[in-house]
Amino acid sequence: MASIHLDQIGHSYGTAVYALEKTDMHFEDGKTYALLGPSGCGKTTMLNIISGLLTPSDGRVLLGGTDVTRTRTAERNIAQVFQFPVVYQSKTVFENLAFPLHCRGWDRSRIATRVAEIADLLGLTSRLSQSARRLTADEKQLISLGRGLVRNDVAALLMDEPLTVIDPHMKFDLRRRIKQANDQTRHTVVYVTHDQNEAMTFADEVLVMSAGRVVQRGTPQQLFEAPRNLYVGNFIGSPGMNFVRAERLDGDLRLDGVPLVGADRCRGIAPDAEIVLGIRPEHIAFAQGEELGVPASIVSAQDHGSLLVVDVAVGSDRLRMKVRRDVSFPAGQARLRVSSDQVRLYVDGVLVN
Amino acid sequence: MLSTLKYIAVVLWSAFVVAPLLWALTTSFKTANGVTGGPTYLPYIGFEPSLDGWRSLFGGAGGIDIVRPYMDSLIVTSSASLISIVLGTLAAYGLSRFEYRAGFVKNTDIIFFFISQRIMPPIVLAIPFFLMLQFLGLLDTKIGLILVYVALLLPIAVWIMVDFFDGVPRQIDEMAMLDGCTPFEAFWRIVLPNSMPGILVASMFCVIFGWNDFFFAFTLTFTDTQLLPVAVVSLNSSVTPWWSLSASALVSVAPLILIAIFVERLLSRGTLAGAIR
Repeated sequence: MASIHLDQIGHSYGTAVYALEKTDMHFEDGKTYALLGPSGCGKTTMLNIISGLLTPSDGRVLLGGTDVTRTRTAERNIAQVFQFPVVYQSKTVFENLAFPLHCRGWDRSRIATRVAEIADLLGLTSRLSQSARRLTADEKQLISLGRGLVRNDVAALLMDEPLTVIDPHMKFDLRRRIKQANDQTRHTVVYVTHDQNEAMTFADEVLVMSAGRVVQRGTPQQLFEAPRNLYVGNFIGSPGMNFVRAERLDGDLRLDGVPLVGADRCRGIAPDAEIVLGIRPEHIAFAQGEELGVPASIVSAQDHGSLLVVDVAVGSDRLRMKVRRDVSFPAGQARLRVSSDQVRLYVDGVLVN
Repeated sequence: MLSTLKYIAVVLWSAFVVAPLLWALTTSFKTANGVTGGPTYLPYIGFEPSLDGWRSLFGGAGGIDIVRPYMDSLIVTSSASLISIVLGTLAAYGLSRFEYRAGFVKNTDIIFFFISQRIMPPIVLAIPFFLMLQFLGLLDTKIGLILVYVALLLPIAVWIMVDFFDGVPRQIDEMAMLDGCTPFEAFWRIVLPNSMPGILVASMFCVIFGWNDFFFAFTLTFTDTQLLPVAVVSLNSSVTPWWSLSASALVSVAPLILIAIFVERLLSRGTLAGAIR
């Protein structure tokens, strides 16, 4: 196990465009990180640079403080699980799981014990003597994962969207098993995904990426509560954050005439700057009784199981709010209560305060 | 109804394939009288069987010793095929996995360079080969022929294997390196065992070509070395000895039939299908 330090790392695949913009990044020892972002944003490139499958165009890779930029993949001792299962077809399940240990020159009995442990953890014990050729995609991916976990001395465990090919009903189970294995081994884990739920459940810290750069890193809670810019606000949460232009009157920020945010929070913002309010759908509710609320008209409601996502129009803006199923709300016109301390302010697309 | 038709078709096709072999088999047991007496197929009834044809293969009356050409053919074909497969597989792996560049020459150009060796008709190559072997003092030797066959077989091996390796996901190699292999170990311990189907197909092509080649064996060897196809043809004289010719044809085709049966077994076991994923 080791910390990972990417020192001014950047990479381009032979074109002027950088797949990974020059960046400095530190992953602490024993923590789990999620790289979250849409396809083609540089997540996989970053993993391949860490594991040495790719030599970066710029910068240095440090594992536990040692410069490994020019060190071979094999000598870095990193485990990586790819998006699509990779099994050695000519070998049995046992031989597949034992291969990394063979490469490290373990003796036979030690290998047998260790493989048995991992097979037990992943529920593959009954399959050990089978040929790897005839397994289902789920099982093959479990083997890929197993080959990563079987060495207990790896510097880091990198996972590149390992659950993409897995059946939905298996996903939950597999996620649990991965998490369980992680908790046992306490590796430094970097987990690439485009599924925010996966990122949020796995990771101590989430890094949101876009177009080759890390836009924001923080705990799942930080990303949810204070997205640094409109991109993160949109990307995190389902549905994403609402963004509406605020009216600025007597120093207050208002939405359709109703004051939402006090003048004290606008300190330091140029008086003529255009301010956008970021409001999570979770932080909007229907006003009760005589409460002052933002007048709105209800456009539509979508059933999301235990929740309804309601589309409402405020002036010329559209907002989405999450409402518990059992809450009754008026048809047509309504008033909205917005928790003002949860409202975030954005100038030029970037969070202020 | 459909299955009946299918069986009829299969039977007709089998007859079409087996009949010439049957003809050769019966002819090989005939004498001059038996051959000229019109088509007969049943020994003792249609003709009087004789082992003259088979005896002539071992230097009997009216024939030539076929054992030495047979061994020569085996040695030349297997050596040339083995060398071509080993070199071809290594070259193909390199061309499939690494990028080479020499000025404007890139991987695809190199692959085309290999394949282009087979564009020219053999007759164009015969004279240069002759002169080169003469210069090296290798005319009429097995080594000379092996060299020529390697030059001819290598393009086939490279071509088939590049195509095969291109179909093997790069992740397999990457995973092996992550598991602790050097790039060569990844090739040797993981990719190669996974590539047996491709190697088998390439070997088959090489062996068939090497075994059947007449032209180069004819132009580049004379007396010290003689390959089987040349020896078989040399049986032909003013009076064609059909019996010994048939016997020699049967023994020459036998290894190829064995290979065909072997490959068919592997095919039906599914060993060649779905090597990856």
